[in-house]
Amino acid sequence: MNTIIIAHLYPREMNIYGDLGNIIALTRRLEWRGYAVEVRSVEVGKFFDFSKVDIIFGGGGQDSGQLIVGTDLLIYGEVLRNLADSGMPMLLICGLYQLFGNKFVTNNNQIIKGIDVFNITTIASDTRMIGNIVIESSFGRLVGFENHSGQTQLGVNQLPLGKVKHGFGNNSTRKHEGAVRNNAIGCYLHGPVLPKNPKLADALILAALKRKYGIAELLKLDDSIELRAADVASTRS
Amino acid sequence: MRQTLTLIITKVAAGASRISRRGGGGALPGLLAEKLDPKLASRLSAQLSHGVILVTGTNGKTTTTKLIAAELEAHGERVLTNRSGSNLRRGVISSLIDASNLSGEIDATIGLFEVDEAWLRFVAADLQPDKIVVLNLFRDQLDRYGELDTLAGLIGDGIASTKAKIYLNADDPLVASLSKYAARSDLVNYFGVEGLPAKSTRRQVTPVDSDRCPVCKTELVFSRIFYSHIGHYSCPNGDFSRPQPEVSLTHVNESSDESSDFTAAITGKRYDFQLQLPGSYNLYNALAAIAVGYGHGIAIADLQTSINTTEAAFGRVERITIGNKTLLLLLIKNPAGFTQVLETFLSSKMKANILIIINDNLADGRDVSWLWDVPLEILSSTQPNIISSGIRATELTLRLKYAGIDSRSIEDLSSSLNALLDEIPDGSMGYILPTYTAMIAIRQELSKRTDVPKMKL
Repeated sequence: MNTIIIAHLYPREMNIYGDLGNIIALTRRLEWRGYAVEVRSVEVGKFFDFSKVDIIFGGGGQDSGQLIVGTDLLIYGEVLRNLADSGMPMLLICGLYQLFGNKFVTNNNQIIKGIDVFNITTIASDTRMIGNIVIESSFGRLVGFENHSGQTQLGVNQLPLGKVKHGFGNNSTRKHEGAVRNNAIGCYLHGPVLPKNPKLADALILAALKRKYGIAELLKLDDSIELRAADVASTRS
Repeated sequence: MRQTLTLIITKVAAGASRISRRGGGGALPGLLAEKLDPKLASRLSAQLSHGVILVTGTNGKTTTTKLIAAELEAHGERVLTNRSGSNLRRGVISSLIDASNLSGEIDATIGLFEVDEAWLRFVAADLQPDKIVVLNLFRDQLDRYGELDTLAGLIGDGIASTKAKIYLNADDPLVASLSKYAARSDLVNYFGVEGLPAKSTRRQVTPVDSDRCPVCKTELVFSRIFYSHIGHYSCPNGDFSRPQPEVSLTHVNESSDESSDFTAAITGKRYDFQLQLPGSYNLYNALAAIAVGYGHGIAIADLQTSINTTEAAFGRVERITIGNKTLLLLLIKNPAGFTQVLETFLSSKMKANILIIINDNLADGRDVSWLWDVPLEILSSTQPNIISSGIRATELTLRLKYAGIDSRSIEDLSSSLNALLDEIPDGSMGYILPTYTAMIAIRQELSKRTDVPKMKL
């Protein structure tokens, strides 16, 4: 059986607000199409071979987790930038989205250096941006739940994932959300994002299958339950 | 004079609020008193001749408070306590105002309050308690409180502002580490479990809430895990390890859906208890209550009687009969609690009839993503018949789909309850798992069909 390998970045430290649901969604949607899935955890202090994986996922975490992870992640900066340029599908939520940027400045003015996959800078603030969020993107409408105090600014030539229709997004003023580099996507959408936004999940899956097996089209799935749940989420203020 | 005026104003406000049915008279008096006379709570509580006990922690506050209240009452104390929905500072102050007359006299000997984790520091500073109990710290509505480490620090500040005896869960590393905030080391007491069938130290990806050394942040080594991050642990660098509890459970003799018979060692001697509550999480609540009762000088034989005869708090494990069918009402609030309910009641039942009601109102937590942190997959081999209801019924149906379980969404509460009752065979049992506001709504729905005990809010 054909197997897709998912790298889960630092699940012990960065695994909050149901982010695990994204791994569940990728796994099931691949299994339903007849593929086997293997999830490999990236752990602090243990060398990880990214050349063997097909999708990379990382979630959010507590500040303490972010400090521990930040240093370890720097080892893989060049590898991950090259993989992003080569079209590797990646999804980074919240805390790891920030660390995939240029830097994150904490509340105590501590600077955590990022790995520059995205040209973004994040500065912690006193306002917590919490609530249901709806954005419009090239994957259509995306719904999620955001919960961050980091204010993220896009650098020169950095494309956002989408426009905010409801909620905050990258920061409390500019009404854009997330960042994209090829098939690498970073954003603040917890929720978790993939189960309720199957188009986005399938875009990551198709990119992986294209790279590994030259597959051009995905088998259609019945997404009526997914879309109903997304509709309800989009109406919650 | 200021005090009398404040009491008059707040009591009138409580009355008005009760009549207009806006808030059940709950928080408003406390809210007003905070503004009019910030020292009122300190003065009122100073009359409680046998002191004040505070109970905090993510899960089990209401049940533990109920168990301790039963022990104290059987011991002859007149206990002033608060309701589970009013455990912020203003709720505690409201209970004090409600219990006092206009001269500010309170007819009670002891105060016993469950307190929200983030508010403990304020309530502790106001009331200067004699005893503080910390049960556990799990992820719960982090959208309100930020992070567990931060929350533990806030509780620590509360402890540090008092000279209270503290009662800590030895098996929760973050809670056990709060000992450093005690005014003196001889004020620290621990309760914990020695013998309970341990879960494998399975290292799955489901979130473990706090498994790092509170001192050096290295990953702790667990020799046993009872559930979530609760177990026997030590830091590989030797910076921190599980303290030896004075009150400990040595083994569970028998457990069912309704009760748990266990043996506890209290400073070395063994005693049997028959707790009228199921589930390992309630064993910890009972141990906390035993430790506090013992610390209060209550005879162990009396503690046994109280523990053996106290029933569950409203909605925690409530049995309701409709005709010849029985419903078990089990409150779910967060991943740890939901997981415990699954493991205790449902993981080994074939074809159980289950109604799960998910709301996302403020009191439930606006963020429903926590459903994805619950290992619902463990039900997939039992072929349950599940109906999803509530505001976010569709989210649960989606979660179940990805756990390999079919379910029906019926958002309307009354129709979902009818559907459940239709499915339960005569003489059998069904399960209702509601979030907080869903529990209030479903109890109302049930009361149209049968006698349901009034819930105090």
